[in-house]
Amino acid sequence: AAMKCVLGGAQLRVFGRAIHAIARISDEFWFDPVEKGLALRSVNSSRSAYACVFFSSMFFQHYCWTAVSQPCQEEKQLSLPCKLIIKSVLPVFRCVNVLERNVEKCSISTNPNDHHITFQLLCRHGVVKTYNLTFQECDPLQAIFAKHMCPNILKVHSRLLADVMIHFPTSQEEITLSVTPMKVCFKSYTEEDTDFSRTMLTEIQLSPEEFDYFQVGVDSEVTFCLKELRGLLAFSEATSVPVSIHFDRCGKPIAFSIEDLLLEASFILATLCEAEKEAASPEPACCPQPWDSKADTAASKKSQQKENTPRRDSAKTPSALAKQEVKSIPRGTERDVPGRAGAATAEAAGGKATETPYEKNSYLYKYCIFQFHSLFFGAVSDKEEAIGDTFQSLVTASDTEEDFGALQSSQV
Amino acid sequence: MRFRAKIVDLACLNHFSRIINTIARLAKTCILRLTVCKLYFILSDKAANGGASMWCELSQGNFFDEFQMEGVAAEHNEIYLELVPENLSRALKTAQSAKAVKIKLTNKHCPCLRVAVELPSLSSSSRIVTHDIPVGVIPRRMWNDFREPSVPDFDVSIYLPVLKTMKSVVERMKNLSNFIVIEANLSGEMNLKIETDLVSVTTHFKDLGNPPWASEDGCQSSPQGRDLESMAEACIDIKKLQQLLAGQQVNPTKALCNIVHKRIVHFILLHEEVSLQYFIPAIA
Repeated sequence: AAMKCVLGGAQLRVFGRAIHAIARISDEFWFDPVEKGLALRSVNSSRSAYACVFFSSMFFQHYCWTAVSQPCQEEKQLSLPCKLIIKSVLPVFRCVNVLERNVEKCSISTNPNDHHITFQLLCRHGVVKTYNLTFQECDPLQAIFAKHMCPNILKVHSRLLADVMIHFPTSQEEITLSVTPMKVCFKSYTEEDTDFSRTMLTEIQLSPEEFDYFQVGVDSEVTFCLKELRGLLAFSEATSVPVSIHFDRCGKPIAFSIEDLLLEASFILATLCEAEKEAASPEPACCPQPWDSKADTAASKKSQQKENTPRRDSAKTPSALAKQEVKSIPRGTERDVPGRAGAATAEAAGGKATETPYEKNSYLYKYCIFQFHSLFFGAVSDKEEAIGDTFQSLVTASDTEEDFGALQSSQV
Repeated sequence: MRFRAKIVDLACLNHFSRIINTIARLAKTCILRLTVCKLYFILSDKAANGGASMWCELSQGNFFDEFQMEGVAAEHNEIYLELVPENLSRALKTAQSAKAVKIKLTNKHCPCLRVAVELPSLSSSSRIVTHDIPVGVIPRRMWNDFREPSVPDFDVSIYLPVLKTMKSVVERMKNLSNFIVIEANLSGEMNLKIETDLVSVTTHFKDLGNPPWASEDGCQSSPQGRDLESMAEACIDIKKLQQLLAGQQVNPTKALCNIVHKRIVHFILLHEEVSLQYFIPAIA
């Protein structure tokens, strides 16, 4: 597909912040123009964080999208997303606050024939900056997360969240959100082997009254990566749209999202899954099964944070992501084929408790990943398809149309 | 051993935070000594600090609305804690608009200073931010290591120039050299000198004034017999001097230094409620 859109100065600020927010997740992102708007998506290498920002066509001063039929495609395909390296795009939106003042218009256009995306900034004094970036074609990326199934929902202005996070040091990696119907608490994450004599711990207690919407169906304590979230917080401050937090018990993903008429953004983060709690929980399915390669990806999030983790060739491990039967698909076919979420390779690393990925030891899988759905488009991708013989379907919510709607409501 | 204190007044809180910020710049780890009337921040002159040492003293009544402490024993009613002042600085940083700040010595997993900041919120109940700062309790047998340093037998004592000016001079010199020579005489003249292979720079200050020091027996101390023009100098680590000056956010009431020729420079910065002494040894 070919797309051309134009952004004005004020919109640039929001768009630039979105790019910066996504940059916190990964080095590359999916640039996915569709008829109704432009989606930017990213997933980190350990599949424990996913971001999607969708700008509806109305967000732009001008948005034009045309389908281009590709004769080599078997199926009628509406669009193919492409992947860009964040580092190439970030300079375009470097000083977001300054951008607004100096840039009159920014136009973004894609040229699928020669695999280029062009960002053109029309600045003051007649200066025109043009950035031509190459993209890689890739499998689409989309996460499925049934927000409506979450028992706990909080809605709050981004200012409050920023005020809370400011009390934690910028180096703080993980924080724990603990809720009961009576109180909400954000605290530094600690585990059994934390050296308390060396670590400063911070805890913030809030009353439910501070939230615009407060629903706690189940007392829970979830731990997630703060670093990845900070991007969304900065972005939501630019838009001044309230932030919704959907979550469940520990181990299940937590979603931070903002939504208004012009844009929707979701950051979905995996949460720490404690083995004891996992055993007690009636639905263990969110955590990967012992033998699965998904264990590698789950463990790799933890081990990425530790030094000296042995790196294993990801080609050896079967596909990290399960497929789920899907009723309706925005594009492509309903094919019963296991997919892979794009080319971001999961680095399988040793992890804390184990050496091999196939040990039947649930302590290994500290992090739970949420499900990705990937659609397979035949010969399009030139990436090696390391498809395992067996795969496991992660049981999440229902596979109704609403699942897609949870994130991509404006997608066809 | 018990300690519990509370600050309610915002001005006191900000002042206390500023002092902690200054201390945090001078020492990575230091000793907090608590007595019934005073708090002391102490850095002893171990090699790990590059030989620099610090003594900062404040009266608790000037800052705290409530202050209760119980020392290790009745006849030794003091508490010595080792802590990282940067942690305390960070805990107080976001308390700018606090309704109250409470500090308490606790021992949950390990001895900690618990700083609880009560912040205003949009709802009826306040927001409470709690920081647990790990501390080490110093046993009584080691207290002697942390006694107040005595004023050295100096050769020259002189008031410092306006700190802001001195700071910008030192900061620029820091780009050129790792060491700086401070020299001064009893005629109110001070020079800051750096010398490298390529360049030497000297900044001259005049009419600074020399503080009068009376010795114990009432007579003027030995510098009286000294030639007024003769300079006493010491070559010190420029970074330490820069850190001292950078940490001063408010102009002190009095700022002076005592120079022991080629041995040590003793800085004294006096504010209304707090006094700070900092010793920087001369490089051989």
